[in-house]
Amino acid sequence: MSVRNFKGSGRWWALAGCLLWLAFTFFPLYWVAITSFKSPLGVVGGPTYIPFVDFDPTLTAWSELLSGARGQFYNTFIASTIIGLSASVLATFIGSMAAYALVRFTFEVKLLSGVIFVVVAFGGYLLGRHVLGYGQAISLIYAFIAALGLAIGSSRIKLPGPVLGNDDIVFWFVSQRMFPPIVAAFALFLMYTEMGKMGFKLVDTYTGLTFAYVAFSLPIVIWLMRDFFAALPVEVEEAAMVDNVPSWRIFFGIVLPMSKPGLIATFMITLAFVWNEFLFALFLTSSKWQTLPILVAGQNSQRGDEWWSISAAALVAIIPMVVMAGILSRLMRSGLLLGAIK
Amino acid sequence: MTRNDPVKHFFIWPALLIVLVISIFPLIYSLTTSFMSLRLVPPIPARFVGFGNYTELLQNPRFWNVAWTTTIIAFVAVTLQYVIGFSVALALNRRVPGEGLFRVSFLVPMLVAPVAVALIARQILNPTMGPLNELMTAFGFPNLPFLTQTRWAIGAIISVEVWQWTPFVILMLLAGLQTLPDDVYEAAALENASPWQQFWGITFPMMLPISVAVVFIRLIESYKIIDTVFVMTGGGPGISTETLTLFAYQEGFKKFNLGYTSALSFLFLIVITVIGLVYLAILKPYLEKHK
Repeated sequence: MSVRNFKGSGRWWALAGCLLWLAFTFFPLYWVAITSFKSPLGVVGGPTYIPFVDFDPTLTAWSELLSGARGQFYNTFIASTIIGLSASVLATFIGSMAAYALVRFTFEVKLLSGVIFVVVAFGGYLLGRHVLGYGQAISLIYAFIAALGLAIGSSRIKLPGPVLGNDDIVFWFVSQRMFPPIVAAFALFLMYTEMGKMGFKLVDTYTGLTFAYVAFSLPIVIWLMRDFFAALPVEVEEAAMVDNVPSWRIFFGIVLPMSKPGLIATFMITLAFVWNEFLFALFLTSSKWQTLPILVAGQNSQRGDEWWSISAAALVAIIPMVVMAGILSRLMRSGLLLGAIK
Repeated sequence: MTRNDPVKHFFIWPALLIVLVISIFPLIYSLTTSFMSLRLVPPIPARFVGFGNYTELLQNPRFWNVAWTTTIIAFVAVTLQYVIGFSVALALNRRVPGEGLFRVSFLVPMLVAPVAVALIARQILNPTMGPLNELMTAFGFPNLPFLTQTRWAIGAIISVEVWQWTPFVILMLLAGLQTLPDDVYEAAALENASPWQQFWGITFPMMLPISVAVVFIRLIESYKIIDTVFVMTGGGPGISTETLTLFAYQEGFKKFNLGYTSALSFLFLIVITVIGLVYLAILKPYLEKHK
């Protein structure tokens, strides 16, 4: 018997505590599940708990929902699925490449180049906007290109000042998550509107929302995938390098297949994040590409206390992710996510 | 060992470019707007006002009220999440009966859309049709207006946060517990250290680095809370449960008061950064002591 196991009565106290937490965790889910099978009268008449004993379950809410009598449910579900899947695939792919590069290659960025980038971007924007009189979007784009060009150019020449390494770049990526999303969501909305005036429609489009989600998932993808890649044995890659296999083939042919479990876990975490995301969808979509959280939140104000149909709608948003939780925990038990926290 | 190869640029630039675009654009845009008076409805031409928006905000009692509400929600919820999460993780780590099943099911709330959680909470807390009030009356307590009275509403929001995010704490702490070495505990058992002593003497100090990280992540994320509040109370009664993000949403998206909203966003960013730095500064000596 290992030192880690419980001794004596402690075991039963722990079990009681866990059961209590289990009840707290599952009661709300149980409640929403049974409410979706209640008839309107069964809801309004006060709480009832057990189907067939307390109340007679009906399929009214579900048939209304699935027949489309309650708004464009199919469209929203499909939009949510498409955006969720493509944003998570893209983010996992792009993020893995960056994470791999940050684990295996040496990067050196002069702090001064970073400062130049920020200063030129700001200055260029102000110059374009208030001195030269360009529109917002145009000044932003010009300022960005100028800043990027100068920053890259300046990193070529010898600059004084501290040099940032791989860890600092990872930190910069991860710190983007600290930024309150409302700042970005609102600015993105205005930027997208500006772009729309120039002919690129981004508000309420697939491209606009997917781009925002990819960008906001990248920090977490890079953070997770970096640990997975760092845990891989480097010998295999070294052997391939001796045989003169180019780096991109090492990555796609050896490293990616080896880290498949990590990729799947990261993909699913990203998918859950995108699927449940509310704020960006609220700002950046209006009708066509509305996602499930917005529709579900809207049920509240539109339908008041029609809990039976609200419950059914909420379940549609919940069930795919609960199924995923099952798969994820399978992966977790094999010790997969251990590396992710070190 | 890292190596040098020109192909590295091909690997990192897509991610770098996307994150750069999405982080620098909003930053430039909102920072410059925060110094201007700019409204879309009714449209007023932009006017430079310097720190006007900031001083106006800092003098607005609503801002302080909102910041205070958010702070209460974040701190109380994260404390509860940490205490409960640590206990559950300890139990799971020591192979409580049925551990396999608990592990799967404890993860679920984290993956449920916050909006859906808030809707379910509304049903359960409903004064006439909800089960909680029936339970309360059955035990002889008065029927309580959970979502329409400030204190109860804040309590309700905190419970929903705890329900949803304790799984995250469990997940992280459990992973941390599993990496602790066995031999320390074997030595402690030989010395007849009580479980209580073992926890405070070994487990807690060794878990401190990961605890700090988990609490930090949760604290920052809690400050961003909007969806739960948006659905559960809409900030009400009055503005008593309004959070920072919700306030910014109301000002920006309902009133289109852009300069003001941008200034608010930056104050928000400053608040989060200050809290993060203070938190890390307070804990640094402890972290170094146990290294």
